[in-house]
Amino acid sequence: MKWWLIAWREIRWEVFLDRASLVRTAFFVVIPIFFVFSNRGVGPGAGGDLALVGLALQSVFFPSLGGVALIAATFSAEKENGTLVPLLAAPIRDFDIVLGKLIGMVIPVMASCAVTLAAAYALASYRYGAERVARVLTPELLYALLVVSLLYLITTGSIAMIVAARVRSSRAAQQIAGLVIAFSVTIFAGLGFASSQLADGWPLLALGVALIAFDVAALEVARRVWQRGEVIGRV
Amino acid sequence: MIDVRHLTRRFADVVALEDASFQVRPGEIVALLGPNGAGKTTASRIIGGILAPSEGDVLVDGLSVRTDADAVRARCGFVTDQPSLYDRMPLRAYLGFFARLYDVRDADGRAVALAKLLGLDDVLEKRLGAFSRGMRQKVAIARALVHDPPVLLLDEPATALDPEMTQVLRAFIVSLRARHRAILLTTHDLDEAQRIADRVVVLFRGRVVRTGATSELRAGARPSYRVAFAGDPAVARDALARLGLDASVLPPEDGLSAIRFATEDPRRTNPQALRALLDADLRVITVASEERTLEDAYLAILAEARK
Repeated sequence: MKWWLIAWREIRWEVFLDRASLVRTAFFVVIPIFFVFSNRGVGPGAGGDLALVGLALQSVFFPSLGGVALIAATFSAEKENGTLVPLLAAPIRDFDIVLGKLIGMVIPVMASCAVTLAAAYALASYRYGAERVARVLTPELLYALLVVSLLYLITTGSIAMIVAARVRSSRAAQQIAGLVIAFSVTIFAGLGFASSQLADGWPLLALGVALIAFDVAALEVARRVWQRGEVIGRV
Repeated sequence: MIDVRHLTRRFADVVALEDASFQVRPGEIVALLGPNGAGKTTASRIIGGILAPSEGDVLVDGLSVRTDADAVRARCGFVTDQPSLYDRMPLRAYLGFFARLYDVRDADGRAVALAKLLGLDDVLEKRLGAFSRGMRQKVAIARALVHDPPVLLLDEPATALDPEMTQVLRAFIVSLRARHRAILLTTHDLDEAQRIADRVVVLFRGRVVRTGATSELRAGARPSYRVAFAGDPAVARDALARLGLDASVLPPEDGLSAIRFATEDPRRTNPQALRALLDADLRVITVASEERTLEDAYLAILAEARK
C-alpha cells in the first residue's frame, strides 16, 4: 500500500496547497458551468435535449483537462527540484511510485469533475426545468460520463507521465501535456458529438471500451518506461 | 559493509564508471574523491540501489544491488548535495512520510526523536519551505537516518553550509561512525575529507586510481622543507641546485624570501643545504618541515593519473 502513501501525500500537501493548480482547476470547473448559464441553444424538442447532453459532457470533460497538466507537472517538477531522488532511494517498487502519483492526481480531479457535473445539473434544472433535465440526463448517463472521464484521465495521465519521465524540464512536460490535451479535445469532441447524435448511447459505451484498451496499453508502457535507472539518468 | 566489485556503468556511449572496486567497512568513513565527471555520484547512486550497474556488482550487508535492490535501498541512507525537500510539508509530516515508506513501526515517534536529535524539535510543525539552508540539510540527514540504516551515502552533504554548520555536520558524521555505520562520503572538500575520513578512494575518469588510508596518502611523498631567509631567492635556488636539490621559490612572506625543497634523506641533506645557504651569504631565519596535506596528495595522484 505504499502507493497510497504517495497518493495521499500528493492530495494532502501538493494539490490542496498549490494555489496555481487550484486556480487552474477552478478555471476548468467554472467554464462548463458558465456554458450552461450562457447557453442559448437548448430549445424545446430533441435538439435541445442533445444540447443538454453536450453540456453534461463538457462538465465532466473540462476539469479532467486540467488534470492532465497536473499529472505532467507532478513528475517534471519533482525531477527539477530533485525531490524525486529521495523517493527513488526508498524501498518502493517503481510501479508503486507511478500508481501513487497517478491516483494522487486522479482523485482530486475526479472530485472536481463530479462537483462540476452536479453544479451543471442543478443549474440546468433551474434554467430548463427539473423534470426535463431528469428525463434527459438519467443517472445511468451521468455515471457513464464520469466513468468515461476517469478512463480518459488515466489514459492521458499515463501518457503525460511517460513523457514527463523522459523530458528534463517542467516547461517541456507542460508543452507536451498541452499537445495531449489538444489532441484529445479533438477526438473527444468528435466522439461526444457522435454519441449525442445517437439516442441509445452505444457510442459512449464504445468510447468507454476503447479508453479501457488505451488505459491498459498506456499503463503498461508507463510501467516499462518508468524505471528508476531511466528516470535517474535524466535527473 | 559496502563491497563494490568491478563496477561499470555506461550511459549510451559514455562510460561513467569502469571496473571500480573498493570497500567500506562498518565504523569507517571512506571519502570518495575525484574531479567533476569522475563518476562519484554515479557510484553512490549504484551503491544506494537507485541506478543499476552495467557490469559488476555491489554488495551491501551481503545483499546484491542486482538481485535485491529493494533490500539494499532499505539498508542505505542517502544524502545529496541539494536537500531536495517537499517545501509545502511541515517537518513532522515529512519525516513521518519517509518513515512509513521505510516501514518504520512508530513513524511519528521516530520523526519526533530525529528532529530532537538534530535540534529541530521546535520547528516540527513549520513548513520546510521556510527553513534556512542549514536546517534543510539537517532535515535531509534526518530523512536519511529515519530507518536507522547501517550504511550512509553522503554526496556533498556540506555544500553551501556556513563554517559553523559544517562543523556541526562533521561532528555528527563522526558520531555516526562511532555507532558503527559504514559511511561513504563523496566530496570535493579535501579539508573535510582529511579531517574525518579513515580511508580515501580517488576516482579519475570513472576508474579507481588510488585507494588507501588518509594518513598513508599524506605520507606518501618525500618530506619537504620550507626555508625563510633574507636575500636573493635565485642565489638560494642555485646554491641548493649545486647539491642536487630541486628547490622551488615561494612567494615572499613578512618581508622574507622563501624556498621549498624535498628530500628522501633529510638527516643527511638538510645540514648540507643549510651550510650551502649560509655560505652563499643568505641569512636563514627558519627551516620548517612541511606536512603534506590530503590536497597535495590528491593533486599529485591526479597529475599522475593524467599522465
